[in-house]
Amino acid sequence: MDYFISTVIFTGITLIGVLGVFLITGLTGLFSLGQAAFMAIGGYVSAVLIRNYSVPVIPAVALAIGAAILAALIVGLPTVRLRRDYISLVTLGFGEAIVALLNNSANITGGAMGISGIPQLTTLPVTLASVAVCLTLVILYKNSKYGRQCLALRSDELAARSMGINVWRLKLITFLFAGALTGYSGVLFGFYTTYLEPAAFNWIISAEWTIIVFVGGVNSLTGAVLATILLTWLPEFLRFASEWRVAIYCVIVLIIVNYRTSGIMGDRELSLKAASKLLARKRGTGQ
Amino acid sequence: MKLLEVKGITKSFGGVRAVDDFSFSVDKGEIVGIIGPNGAGKTTAFNLVTGVYPLDGGSILLEGEELAGREQHEITRSGIGRTFQNIRLFKGLSVLENVMTAADPYSEYGLASLFSFGRAFRQREREVRAKAAEFLAIVGLEGYADEKPSNLPYGLQRKLEIARALATGPRALLLDEPAAGLNPSEVQEFIGLAGELRERFGFAILVIEHRMEVIMTLCSRIYVLNFGKLLAEGAPAEIRANREVAEAYIGKEDGTCFE
Repeated sequence: MDYFISTVIFTGITLIGVLGVFLITGLTGLFSLGQAAFMAIGGYVSAVLIRNYSVPVIPAVALAIGAAILAALIVGLPTVRLRRDYISLVTLGFGEAIVALLNNSANITGGAMGISGIPQLTTLPVTLASVAVCLTLVILYKNSKYGRQCLALRSDELAARSMGINVWRLKLITFLFAGALTGYSGVLFGFYTTYLEPAAFNWIISAEWTIIVFVGGVNSLTGAVLATILLTWLPEFLRFASEWRVAIYCVIVLIIVNYRTSGIMGDRELSLKAASKLLARKRGTGQ
Repeated sequence: MKLLEVKGITKSFGGVRAVDDFSFSVDKGEIVGIIGPNGAGKTTAFNLVTGVYPLDGGSILLEGEELAGREQHEITRSGIGRTFQNIRLFKGLSVLENVMTAADPYSEYGLASLFSFGRAFRQREREVRAKAAEFLAIVGLEGYADEKPSNLPYGLQRKLEIARALATGPRALLLDEPAAGLNPSEVQEFIGLAGELRERFGFAILVIEHRMEVIMTLCSRIYVLNFGKLLAEGAPAEIRANREVAEAYIGKEDGTCFE
């Protein structure tokens, strides 16, 4: 049972991180290969504030999210005007720089030894409530002027500008929102594992999140959620295959990406309207 | 003073003067045409007016307000709407959302209102949705709101481009080959629609077109571009009789291409 709960909690934490990548990659068509760095910032800032400075939990969490937003602003401000491919390079560099910074400021962060003794505050209800809140915010964002404009600029940036969309501002806002979500997932992560080390936040994590978004379908939030659940649980189910499980995992991802090029869900979303349409069509063909 | 006055705009790409000291103007309620052979610089002129490329020289005055040097989105919000020659609709969005997106930049609500599901957010979303539906109805696309634009036939995609441009709230509307690829009955329909839009909104319309029936029926004045330079300007009858224009198009003395 503990094992089950722990997997659910990790899935929830990953999902919040994936939501950030969904905003950047799925909605806006940009790639952040350093997204895990925001997770590191969220986790480390909250841990250091509570452990070293005895800051109460809620202000510490707020400051950690604030630090992630500030970091997103510092990276985002000069990069949103760059071409899309350069944005991935800059974020990759930023991500690795943060890991190096954590490794080299041992007096605060514990360096490569990591930081331990963080209170365990991430329980199952906290995780589920956090997922519900974050998911609601992202659903609202996607279905507002922000989401529409993001999809427009992903599809055709020149036409988007011609419709009066301030593309740089929109990219920056989306980047900050994603940074805040990812930072918060880092807070939850630290408060669950009670131990943080820089190596946990390298670009491989960011790449994994991007894979999850692609497997789910770049334009589908439902897909992102399903893919997160599927790909976080898959390695657990594949445990019986011991050392083969990474290979099997990769093959499954490749099959999905090759045979469903637009991901599991494409750009479809799960909604009452879509469900009733599908039912109506089924009934129509049945007669 | 005319509504839109463009004076001496110039643009070079490498050694090529794509647009060379081109001046034109359009007034409220007027439809003006720009014609010329392929590669004459017509679309580049539109791209300069809408800020896609920075100007090498010249000025763009919209009711006396200088637009040269502004960003593309600022120019659109100042009141210049456009469509594209090679249709550029937003793929991930529905037909209705395509039009809503063009009205969205005028939505004032912020993240605070959005995340608290506030009144400003809900009310504005409702307004934008209703407005977009209205523009779809104007161009005759009311039954297609939930379709994906790529599922629409070509002629309807062109109409959607126009509906989307209307939602930006233009004072001057720039149509880049709106009749390209349309069949004869759709061309007639477009001519009717352009006339209706002028009556209804009273804005200035500038149209690039190769279909002479469109230009000759709709436009009160015509500018002819050739190699980036203004070759001739005048009423349709004058342009039709202009020998230089005919030569630019077909290279010999024959005015029949305008019949």
